[in-house]
Amino acid sequence: MEHLLTVKDLNVTYVNKNRRVMAVRNVNMAVDKGDSLGIVGESGSGKSTLAMALLRLHPKGTEITGQALFEGKDLLAITKEEMNELRWVKIAVVFQKAMNALSPVHRISEQIEDIYRVHCPKASAEEIKTRTLELLKLVNLPERVYNLYPHEMSGGMLQRVAIAISLLHHPQLLIFDEATTALDVVTQGQILKEILEMEKTLATTRIMITHDMSVVATTCNKVAVMYAGELMEFGMVKDVLTHPHHPYTQGLQGSFPSLKGDNKKLVSIPGFLPDLSKECKGCVFAPRCSHATERCHKEKPPMVKTGEAGGAACWLCIGGEENGK
Amino acid sequence: MKRFIVRRIISGILTVLVVFTLNFALVKSAPGDPITSLMGKETDDPVLREALMEKWGLDQPVPVQYFNYLKNALTGDLGTSIIYNRPVNDMIGERMMATILLGLTSLIIAFVLGTLLGIFCARRDGSILDNTLSTISYATDAMPSFWLGLMLIILFATKLDIFPSQGMYNVRAGYTGLQYVLDVLYHLALPCITLVLITMSGYFRITKSSILQVTNEDFITTMRATGMSERKIFNKYIFRNAILPTVTMLGISIAFLVTGVSLIEIVFSWPGIGSMTLTAINQRDYPTLMGVYLVMNVSVVVVMIITDVLYAILDPRIRYD
Amino acid sequence: MKRIGTRCLGALRQDAQLRFGVIGLAILLLLCLLAPVLATVDPYYYGPDSLAAPGVSGHLLGTNHLGQDVFSMLVYGVRTSLMVAIVSSMLSGIIGVVIGGIGGYFGGKVDVVISEIINIFLMIPVFFLIMLIVSLFGSDIKNVMIVIGITNWSKNAKLMRAQALSLRERTFVKSAIALGETKMQVLFKYILPNGIFPVVANTTRGMAGAILTEASLSFLGLGDPNVISWGQMIYQGKQYITTAWWISAFSGIAVIITVIIFYMLGDGLNHVLNPKYNQGGNK
Repeated sequence: MEHLLTVKDLNVTYVNKNRRVMAVRNVNMAVDKGDSLGIVGESGSGKSTLAMALLRLHPKGTEITGQALFEGKDLLAITKEEMNELRWVKIAVVFQKAMNALSPVHRISEQIEDIYRVHCPKASAEEIKTRTLELLKLVNLPERVYNLYPHEMSGGMLQRVAIAISLLHHPQLLIFDEATTALDVVTQGQILKEILEMEKTLATTRIMITHDMSVVATTCNKVAVMYAGELMEFGMVKDVLTHPHHPYTQGLQGSFPSLKGDNKKLVSIPGFLPDLSKECKGCVFAPRCSHATERCHKEKPPMVKTGEAGGAACWLCIGGEENGK
Repeated sequence: MKRFIVRRIISGILTVLVVFTLNFALVKSAPGDPITSLMGKETDDPVLREALMEKWGLDQPVPVQYFNYLKNALTGDLGTSIIYNRPVNDMIGERMMATILLGLTSLIIAFVLGTLLGIFCARRDGSILDNTLSTISYATDAMPSFWLGLMLIILFATKLDIFPSQGMYNVRAGYTGLQYVLDVLYHLALPCITLVLITMSGYFRITKSSILQVTNEDFITTMRATGMSERKIFNKYIFRNAILPTVTMLGISIAFLVTGVSLIEIVFSWPGIGSMTLTAINQRDYPTLMGVYLVMNVSVVVVMIITDVLYAILDPRIRYD
Repeated sequence: MKRIGTRCLGALRQDAQLRFGVIGLAILLLLCLLAPVLATVDPYYYGPDSLAAPGVSGHLLGTNHLGQDVFSMLVYGVRTSLMVAIVSSMLSGIIGVVIGGIGGYFGGKVDVVISEIINIFLMIPVFFLIMLIVSLFGSDIKNVMIVIGITNWSKNAKLMRAQALSLRERTFVKSAIALGETKMQVLFKYILPNGIFPVVANTTRGMAGAILTEASLSFLGLGDPNVISWGQMIYQGKQYITTAWWISAFSGIAVIITVIIFYMLGDGLNHVLNPKYNQGGNK
């Protein structure tokens, strides 16, 4: 089956005056229609960089190599104009800081009208309002929100507005970049529930970028675990959560929600993120890995198939699945 | 909004009152006989002394004097110049136009040029032009305006003999009509260039830095993610957010227009409030000095209130502060 | 102490503006100390050559209308400028810190009154006030410094007030209150020392402002006639601007250089001391 989005050998390098930070290296992944993929990792793992690169919103002077095929088109190779046509109509995004996601000096209605008209220049104000009110209802917001300024709303309301705006043109792919991180636990829970509810009626594919395993557990069917710019492991959420293969994922297990749903404290893995400006010969996680062998420090492990739809980049997994358990 | 304006007006009235009181207290506590200081050290006319005694009611207790002073000023009577024996109001009125002409012309030019250059350089941050202009703006900021005026006189009036260095029009020629207007513009050139060079750097820097700051805001990334054209993003979202600090700065400059222009007027003998003030200082003409100061203060307060209200209209967040 | 030393060195290495500012200030201080050695002639000496052009009869930068040596006057002028800068901005710094600190820390009605006073002072055309006071009370350099000091504190007070407002919510301040320290103790032991950094940076920029204000006053003829100051040299030179440009030109350049040094110090300190700015710089 044709994937909706296929990422091939993606490398993202931030180039500064005298430093090159390889924020994402050799990432391969695929998203199918109807999937909800969670990309998890600590801060600095390159998960947001990955998303920004796919959206071509990276800062100036960033080097990107590889492919990102979306419906047969390479998002990284098409012209700016072609990309702009895809934006919001096919791919939309909800950002982390909802508080700053909208201009503070323009009314919500005005900004929505502008955003809507990017792709439907002739749309009337009435038409846009009708569409927006429909969406506001979907995210459980009252109609009066339409005429407010961003500062007149709470963080949770703004986040809902941002979600509603992202749905304006029925995008096929929706990217949530840490979209619920800044909210309190209760609001976050509500919004996540609303997203799931919403998806029952809309046929969207979703990528959820987060550092919070519990968000992935409650809202995604697939998961990709990133560390220091590289993909460590991927697979179905239920498989990865119950039987993680990669030692890094196992280390993160402390932060997994148990099946009963009560949150446990995050268990930190000793050590620090490696310096991303230096080339790394072996496995990036080796310096912090308790299972690391000499080989791990010298050679980069390939992505090995684990189970039906999973994979892990670890030498331990090569000798058979048993090693990883 | 209404409450906001009312609060600003009350605070403005308070400011003017404080200045009134300060003025009064200063003259009262100045060393020597207040009448002598009011009259100036050189004059000692007993008739004038008596007239002033009566006018300011100096034979009465201090609080009464204060309220008399206040009452006079409230009715718009700023007193009489002891040197020229003319109402201070008239003197200020005559001079005001010259100051406003010079001040406003250079303010508008500096604002437009500075803002445009700021926008231009914000989009080319780090370019040679940007670095050059930033360095120049740092230097002009450190420059005493009157010194720059003198240097321009040396260059353009003495050495090159392109522009006149003194006055507002050719007194001897007695031009009328269009010729007079052109003559005034010709005389306006040097003081105006001086003021533009001095004040432009502020607009340049504030525009540039606020555009750079707004460009990095998250909501600009949102707009880009929607596929909106860079032009629309800049013209509407970046511009509208970045203009806020510039508006404040413009308001402050208009409010303090007279202060900024004064020293330049003195350098170029421009017949405005500034040179009148200098004359008043030299002749110890205190009623004139205090009158100028009060008028200036009231206009500062009024312009500042207008600026604040304008800002509140432009920035919806402010109303609830 | 050693740690503070290394931190300062680190800051100097990190911030070019601060580095230039510190070097510039060191040179100015040296000029202050070495003025008698560096000056070729006694600056108060009225020599026989008046209005001599630069280079003529050993006068490096020429002489003024009274025959005083411009170069020697410039060297001695550093003392006046630095004195004005330091005394008046110290004064405005202290007044601002105390008023702003009290307003922000005590809050309530005290704060309402204090912030209103601050707002009023922000709206007063300060330069005209200074002019009025100096012309009423005399242009002795002490007067000038004090007047500049007591009229320019409002910005400092505003900064300090904002600092105090946020500091009083911090845990270490709250625990000090809980431990029974008096309000005054808390104010002087915790609030002022911790909130003073933005004021320090602003005061340094205020020094530049004080130098310019003194120069402007002198240019209006309101300078102390018994002191050599660059502003007065510009003022004196104005009358001879067509024939002896050097009197005004060089003294103005001295003002610009000194003001730029203080600007650099102020901006540099702002980068180093202001955590907000630091975050922005690292992005």
